[in-house]
Amino acid sequence: MSRILLACIAVVLALASVQRAQGLEVEADLDVFPAASLAQEGGGQSMQVEATRIVAQSAISHKQALGEGLTLSGTAWLDADSLPSDSPLAVPATKLDMNARLLEFGLEWEALPGALILDLGKKIIHPSSGFFKTPLNMLSRPAVGDVPSSTAASVGKWEEGWVGADLTWLVGKLTVANFFSPRLDWGQGADQVLQYISQQQSEYDDLLRLGLHIGEVDLRLLALGSADSIGGADPNLHIQTGAGLDVNVGDSLTVRAEISAADSTERLYVVDATRMTSQAESVAWAPRALLGFTWAEGGAKDLSVMAEYYYNGLGFVGSDYDRLMQYSGNSLAAAGRNVAGGQGVADILDQYGSFEAARHYGFARVAGNIEDDLTAQLWVVTNLQDLSCMTGAVLTYTRDAWAVSGALVDAWGGSNTEEGLSPLLWRLDLELSLFF
Amino acid sequence: MKILFACLISCLALGALGAQSSAELLARIDERRTIPDMSFDMRITSFESGKQKDYNVLRGDVKVTEAGNSVLVYFSEPASVKGRKMLMDGRVVYYLFPRTRNPIRLSPLQVLLGETSNGDVARTGFAKDYDVSAFSEELREGADCYLFKLDAKADRKDSTYAKVDFWVEKVSLRPVYAEFSAADGKLLKKAVYEDYRTVEGKDLPYTLDITDGDDPQKHTTMVYLGIGRKSLPETAFRRDYLDEWTPELPR
Repeated sequence: MSRILLACIAVVLALASVQRAQGLEVEADLDVFPAASLAQEGGGQSMQVEATRIVAQSAISHKQALGEGLTLSGTAWLDADSLPSDSPLAVPATKLDMNARLLEFGLEWEALPGALILDLGKKIIHPSSGFFKTPLNMLSRPAVGDVPSSTAASVGKWEEGWVGADLTWLVGKLTVANFFSPRLDWGQGADQVLQYISQQQSEYDDLLRLGLHIGEVDLRLLALGSADSIGGADPNLHIQTGAGLDVNVGDSLTVRAEISAADSTERLYVVDATRMTSQAESVAWAPRALLGFTWAEGGAKDLSVMAEYYYNGLGFVGSDYDRLMQYSGNSLAAAGRNVAGGQGVADILDQYGSFEAARHYGFARVAGNIEDDLTAQLWVVTNLQDLSCMTGAVLTYTRDAWAVSGALVDAWGGSNTEEGLSPLLWRLDLELSLFF
Repeated sequence: MKILFACLISCLALGALGAQSSAELLARIDERRTIPDMSFDMRITSFESGKQKDYNVLRGDVKVTEAGNSVLVYFSEPASVKGRKMLMDGRVVYYLFPRTRNPIRLSPLQVLLGETSNGDVARTGFAKDYDVSAFSEELREGADCYLFKLDAKADRKDSTYAKVDFWVEKVSLRPVYAEFSAADGKLLKKAVYEDYRTVEGKDLPYTLDITDGDDPQKHTTMVYLGIGRKSLPETAFRRDYLDEWTPELPR
């Protein structure tokens, strides 16, 4: 552990000196995650395993004007992780796993200042206003480094972009933007440098975004067309559409609503929970929708309440959901017994990530100031079908150039519930952030 | 007799001014300190019981149009907030964190810097948002002043400050003091305008000192570090441009 800490301190000192010399914007985080998980041991017995994961991350950004209306900008991210699997049963042999990637890198040209903008390179496309879930983020990736969130935010602190070309036209109260991203498909044996630039992009994508500001309402309409290459596994064109709006109600309340749906989405469903068999099916136009609000009184520093409801059209309900819970429980037990049936069983519960197995979810957060520099927040995510939940309590102390936060995340639920089946029991996150 | 005559003339003049053009005078006062395409560098420092609580250094661009004021703001200090951007478009506020690309929509009450609200930062005048309900003259700290009593216009009734009492020095037409109140008359803030300088032909207060109406120990100073002129198209003051906007020091 001392080696990791020394390495982190060396990285931070190097960043500080680089920042002073080059005028870069640098942020560095050191996270320590003591966690307790349930592991299955032989005979199907559960065993509590505790482990500490240490993650040092930093992001370096810079924007450089090259000429009139022409700028080059980018963000590089790197991390050192002592437990990238997030499982105490899978500790890397080297004790420290290093990763680096360009989150964004591109050339921006304002052909008509403030009106017509062309971006070329790697860019984050984030049209959604949601916090807990983001139905309108049609081109998005999971958090870099797979660092667990302590705030239940759907998107990681540092987002990763897509490689492509984006053309934006602003006229009056209307915005028209189109992002095209090519297929970037390379094998595992490809030049390792490519892995640092971008993850693979398995399809050709074209995302059209329309934004309209009417009165105090922001309206967004999106359409995404995706296609594999000719001769690829799926040569058909697939469509996703979405719409969203944001509006203020009085001086204290903002309301957001959004919905999206794809013409077809593949999912696995449970055929037989006892035999642990599953099958793939295609679901047409299953909507994902979010309705939420943020209420603030006396400024965000005093008190704010955020709540969101998430409807997941791909999630299971009724007997399908019950079978899924039974299947997931059986597969966990079988994996613990190391029986043949437990090997290679599909993880249907988390096939789209966490909090995506059911159809109805709720999220709520209360945040406020305890002292001038000390903020507190409490949040809860609830599966509204089985009432299992995940809770978090976060304290953050912020000074001019650094912040310290502590978070405790707990999972609650009975044996046949989504959170009850989660291997996580609790997790602490002690985070030191440095700003340069 | 001469004094009586002078008073009579003054009253008549004031009466005529009040009846005809107190609103026009207010608009003229606004106009004297409004640069339609302004860029600024500003330090906001909040104090409590004489001790500094926190501070922000902001850089921004202002667009004044018939529809209202729009302001782009970049947080340059302290380091913990450096890189944040904000767009204030009337009562709608968007906030963009560094290394993210989705401006978050906030309510006006979520954007307070010390005792200042977005309205304070964005405000270049009162005539657009307020009607003159009463107009008089008053001696304030030895200077002859106009006193405007202002009520929020019908379509702005839900704004944070429903009423404003506004003192303007007669000779120079410089605002010197204002009291901001809620609809029920509760005093919310007091503001002192100081350190006037001429920029781009306008007479601008470089310092605004705002004190909490409830607790006089809490006060915030807004000090311009620089003011200049920069013309951006109206479309630059849109949510979808916030990410692209590059702040510059005023020239």
